[in-house]
Amino acid sequence: MRNTSGKITIMAVCLVVGIMLSVQFRTSENYGSNLRTARVDELALKNSTLSLEKDALSKEVVSLREKLTNVGSDSKLNADLQEELKKSNMAAGLIPVSGPGVIVTLNDSPRSVQPGDDPNALLVHDIDILNIVNEMRASGAEAISVNNERITAMSEIRCAGTTVLVNWNKIAPPFIIKAIGNPQLLESGLSIRGGKLEELKTFGLQTQLVRNDNVDIPAYTGALKFQYAAPIQSKKKAES
Amino acid sequence: MWILTLFCLFIGLFIGFQLPVLLPVAMVKYMSIGVLAALDSVFGGIRAYMEDAFDNTIFISGFIVNSLLAAGFAYLGDRLGLELYLAAVVVFGVRLFQNLGIIRRYLLKKY
Repeated sequence: MRNTSGKITIMAVCLVVGIMLSVQFRTSENYGSNLRTARVDELALKNSTLSLEKDALSKEVVSLREKLTNVGSDSKLNADLQEELKKSNMAAGLIPVSGPGVIVTLNDSPRSVQPGDDPNALLVHDIDILNIVNEMRASGAEAISVNNERITAMSEIRCAGTTVLVNWNKIAPPFIIKAIGNPQLLESGLSIRGGKLEELKTFGLQTQLVRNDNVDIPAYTGALKFQYAAPIQSKKKAES
Repeated sequence: MWILTLFCLFIGLFIGFQLPVLLPVAMVKYMSIGVLAALDSVFGGIRAYMEDAFDNTIFISGFIVNSLLAAGFAYLGDRLGLELYLAAVVVFGVRLFQNLGIIRRYLLKKY
């Protein structure tokens, strides 16, 4: 016990260890004792989506209750119907919408066809656009357009010779696919490793993914005709 | 002397509990390995002190480098998909118990 400087260092280190221990203790206390760090992100995501869902559902309950009480008064009922109509129109793509989102541009490969090359590999195909649109939907896109053709529930994306048909309109490259939704989610969903966009890039096609705070998506301009489908009356539905 | 050391430890604990910082979740695992390495260093230092083989430089450098290395290995293991932190836990755990055993024997001999 002669080494005084040793004593001081041991004390100082004990102080630091004490701080480390208590910070660590408080942190693990804060995040729960049986914490498995690998699953934290997943659980946090689940938690946030579930709470969002819950919020939406509880709001819906409130609004439905309100509507129920409003059924008696005509003007309120009218307003509710208008609101419902607006929502349905938005879902059907019948009114233009704008909001934050991403813009994806696809174009054919700038490389000229070499002898022995498969010329198909250098072109953007209908299936590529379809895949991107599908990926956007999976990432929570609320409205999508391809070259200003709104993608609706009945829109097709179909190869037609040298062009692609969307809503029975011919579109040609460059294909500009716009989506409104959570820009971060959309971007990460599209740029996922091994995803469709990367696949296209490896084929040499020109792809571009840009976040935009104000994406404008036009309305569906085609005709709405229902030749075969007819709504089932609610009474019938209850019987069956 | 040892009472003073304990007192320092308690002061450290107190400061830590008062600090308004919380570690990010991703860091908890690495920090815990670092704390284990630091504990090992402290007990190693106390043992060396009792054996009169204490060296300031070795103690301080061991404390810092061991903690950082342990946390770094845990991180590397996570990146490699290998549970490399287990190696640190085993090594430091075994050494911790060894050092504690030696300290206990020394104290028994003394009193």
